[in-house]
Amino acid sequence: LNSDTLDASAPPDRPPDAPAVPPSSESLVVEGEIRQLDPRRIAVERAGSAIFSAIVSTLHLITASILWLTRGAHWDSWLVTAGWFVLTPFLLWLTLRWPAIDYRHWRYRLTAEGIEIWSGVVWRQTVVVPKSRVQHIDVSQGPLERSYGIAKLSVYTAGTEYSRVELPGLDHATALALRDALLPRDAQPAV
Amino acid sequence: MRSFPEMPSLPSDRKLHPVSFVFELASHMRQLLLPGLFVLFAGARGVESWQIYAMVLFVPYALASVARVLVFRYRLGADEISIWSGLIFKQQRHIPYARIQNIDAIQNLVHRALGVVQVRLETAGGEEPEAQLKVVSVAAFEEVRGRVAQARAQATVRPTEAALDDDGVSGASVRAEPSSMPLLRLEARDLVICGLIQGRGLIVIGALFGLLWETGLFDSFNDRMFGDTFRGGGPIRQLVRGLFGQGIAPVQKIAMAVAAVAGFLVLTRVFSVGWALVRLHGFTLRRSGDDLRIDFGLFTRVAATIPLRRIQRVTILEGPLHRPFRRMSVHVDTAGGEQGADVQLQRQWLAPVIARDAVTELLREILPSVPMDAIAWRPVDPRGVRRARRAWLVLNGIVCVLTVAFLEWATVILFGVLLGIGELNARKGVRALGWSISDSGVFFRSGWLWRRRTVAPFPKVQAVSVHETPFDRRLGMASVKVDTAGRGEQGHQISVPYLARTTADAIAADVAAQAARTTFRW
Repeated sequence: LNSDTLDASAPPDRPPDAPAVPPSSESLVVEGEIRQLDPRRIAVERAGSAIFSAIVSTLHLITASILWLTRGAHWDSWLVTAGWFVLTPFLLWLTLRWPAIDYRHWRYRLTAEGIEIWSGVVWRQTVVVPKSRVQHIDVSQGPLERSYGIAKLSVYTAGTEYSRVELPGLDHATALALRDALLPRDAQPAV
Repeated sequence: MRSFPEMPSLPSDRKLHPVSFVFELASHMRQLLLPGLFVLFAGARGVESWQIYAMVLFVPYALASVARVLVFRYRLGADEISIWSGLIFKQQRHIPYARIQNIDAIQNLVHRALGVVQVRLETAGGEEPEAQLKVVSVAAFEEVRGRVAQARAQATVRPTEAALDDDGVSGASVRAEPSSMPLLRLEARDLVICGLIQGRGLIVIGALFGLLWETGLFDSFNDRMFGDTFRGGGPIRQLVRGLFGQGIAPVQKIAMAVAAVAGFLVLTRVFSVGWALVRLHGFTLRRSGDDLRIDFGLFTRVAATIPLRRIQRVTILEGPLHRPFRRMSVHVDTAGGEQGADVQLQRQWLAPVIARDAVTELLREILPSVPMDAIAWRPVDPRGVRRARRAWLVLNGIVCVLTVAFLEWATVILFGVLLGIGELNARKGVRALGWSISDSGVFFRSGWLWRRRTVAPFPKVQAVSVHETPFDRRLGMASVKVDTAGRGEQGHQISVPYLARTTADAIAADVAAQAARTTFRW
């Protein structure tokens, strides 16, 4: 084992430096191509985040109102109100900007051996799961995802920390094609 | 009335041993038992009346236990064991022999007196509970173990192992063959060393403490020591107040405290030796065909079976107390069975202590494919020292800011001492880190006081990942994790920090490619 052979097989640089092929090219899955998630992922994330933010922000506002009505201009009324003016802009940012930032940092690549997934904005990670270690695969859609036509691929291994590796924000047909490409072809029982 | 499909009865069906309900009852009522005994024997000590009425709850419990035992049946089929259980929520479970990871037999004193044994069958699925036969006769256990070994031997006849099967597991009797040489046998002397090294004394002391607490002896002890002045709060707080409660601690009190701590440390080791002598009495590790058999215990006998090919990861530990005795510990991870921590922990230690010279020999037997005697260790990035030092400095700063109110000027001393420890730890700790990749597996070592070396053969590698924290990114560094099946957070994870990004990517790519080339068979 010397460093030359190691470098030759090194995975590509992480996003956002790596060029990615948009998922709308002819074939649904192509081995060896680094791809981005479906752009609809941003819309789904925004919608989900908007619902969450609206609920949290409203509850916060209700709490503040109750404090003003029951305790008047007490210091905790001021504190909770000030908190709203800090938290709500953050939630707005989380809804409007974050999904796009997060989206830019996702990449995946199907290879002959398995699948590689890049993710994470601040704490970045790359996970490589060999095909021969795939126990089973789920393709799932939540109500929001279903309305946008995207799906989440969950790859299960016998591992511990990576007993489930998730790849969200895929076009539903792409997710199904990836599943078929990742499932072991030989019917030999693994256990 | 009953819509659940009745199980077709066959003459080959087995039931639990008739005394099972006693153990069933005991396991469900352990929490209620001590208060219960109180009510019966020590009624004087402030027992409230509702506690007596609560005793009525025992009755349905007892009836349910008896019923549960009566409906429990199992059948040893051609290639699976079928279990029918449950009184109201009925459950049918079929476990193919080939999926059974480990078979454990546990026999405590009561079990032994009655000639029965508790059998645990573990499969790989971590979340689903393993099957338990609680309890069956020893003969029934031998039958189950025999069937599983037999089925496994038939299922895994590969050309290379056909020869092994001839003299190994094919026979119907699976009693530990007297001819098979034990790989490791711990004599009393080894057990004393083991007790000294492992420091399990806290467990014994914890149990004693619990007993004292439960029986109320602790209160009277405390009263006699410190008088009634320091009432309220937990026992530890009482003790601390007793020692330091009266203003500035006088010299005698400090000396007393130091002596108490020293005495406590000695006592824990003494208890630990006792614990090892009893718990691990007659520890024997032997190979039987493709299985490892572990037997130990003076009062509670444990007989564990680990199929060799189920071993996911092997770790060798050499702590500061191992070194003067020239010993090491060997630890394996198998897939399956999260619950029942007690037995698990025991079985994980393949060799609680073993002479340093004998480790290579043992590993050659357990993992013949992955030689561990000549590993070309490669260091992590030297910048790791700076990273470790800086992380410690931040922690040190927080500690000192928090303690400045109590220690005042002495905080400077604390800061200096912590700084020294941090420097030593950063230098030695980073130097102790190492990784290696052979053509058969991944190796990782860490720790300078507690040195751990772990190997995962490529067929057992499930996933590989590269991680990059913001600190990593600033310096162009990353860490690599190699995931295997096994016991999750516990144990020595293969997680190599402080690597140059390019090295980390190269390791990940290499391990993933090598793993992909092999097939995983649990």
